[in-house]
Amino acid sequence: MNEEELRNLEVDKVVDARGTSCPGPLLAAKRSIAEVKVGGIMEILSSDAGTKRDVPLWAKKVGHEYLGTLDEPGYFRLFIKRTK
Amino acid sequence: MAKKMVLALASSGVEKLTVGGIILSGAVAQDMEIKVFLLLGGAYAFRKDMADKVKEPGEAHYNKDELLNGFQRANVPYWLDYYQQAKDLGNVTFYLCGTAGKIWVSDKLEDFVDLVDEVCGIGEYISSIEEADFHIII
Repeated sequence: MNEEELRNLEVDKVVDARGTSCPGPLLAAKRSIAEVKVGGIMEILSSDAGTKRDVPLWAKKVGHEYLGTLDEPGYFRLFIKRTK
Repeated sequence: MAKKMVLALASSGVEKLTVGGIILSGAVAQDMEIKVFLLLGGAYAFRKDMADKVKEPGEAHYNKDELLNGFQRANVPYWLDYYQQAKDLGNVTFYLCGTAGKIWVSDKLEDFVDLVDEVCGIGEYISSIEEADFHIII
């Protein structure tokens, strides 16, 4: 997805993991995806550099769809679609 | 089928327990089936009377204050929190080495934090390693 598409996504759950260090955001993602309906979208906010690669890898590993990342001042936003 | 990991904790150094907790968290995030074995140092750290007090580095050349301040600055929680979270979120079983337990206090579960599920011997540890996809000892 391109930046505009990501900004216009309708998100079902926002997980604010800013300020936490790895593995905090990853565990928050794992915990929260269960609260998203299949087909729904979860957005994770993080300021942890390692998370930028970790969450997409995790999504691929467990079978969800990684949609993309938006960079914001001091943090970034990751978008994951629950597929199962 | 889920991958299987064995994580053995042989040290009670706060940095090693923290690393173990982070590794465990990564494995939980990937839906692995994990067995955590508390060996000598791990058994010490998971004692009911010690679990909230383990803050000394295992590596002698680390400055304790620098390490603990660094944990605080990086928002790294107390090591035990990782293990508790892993238990809540994933398929994790904790095994106390009976001999290690007896060295410190006893081989009774009641003397160790509630996370600990079973008391075991070396045979179970070795069998678990044989069956696992990978084994990490810290």
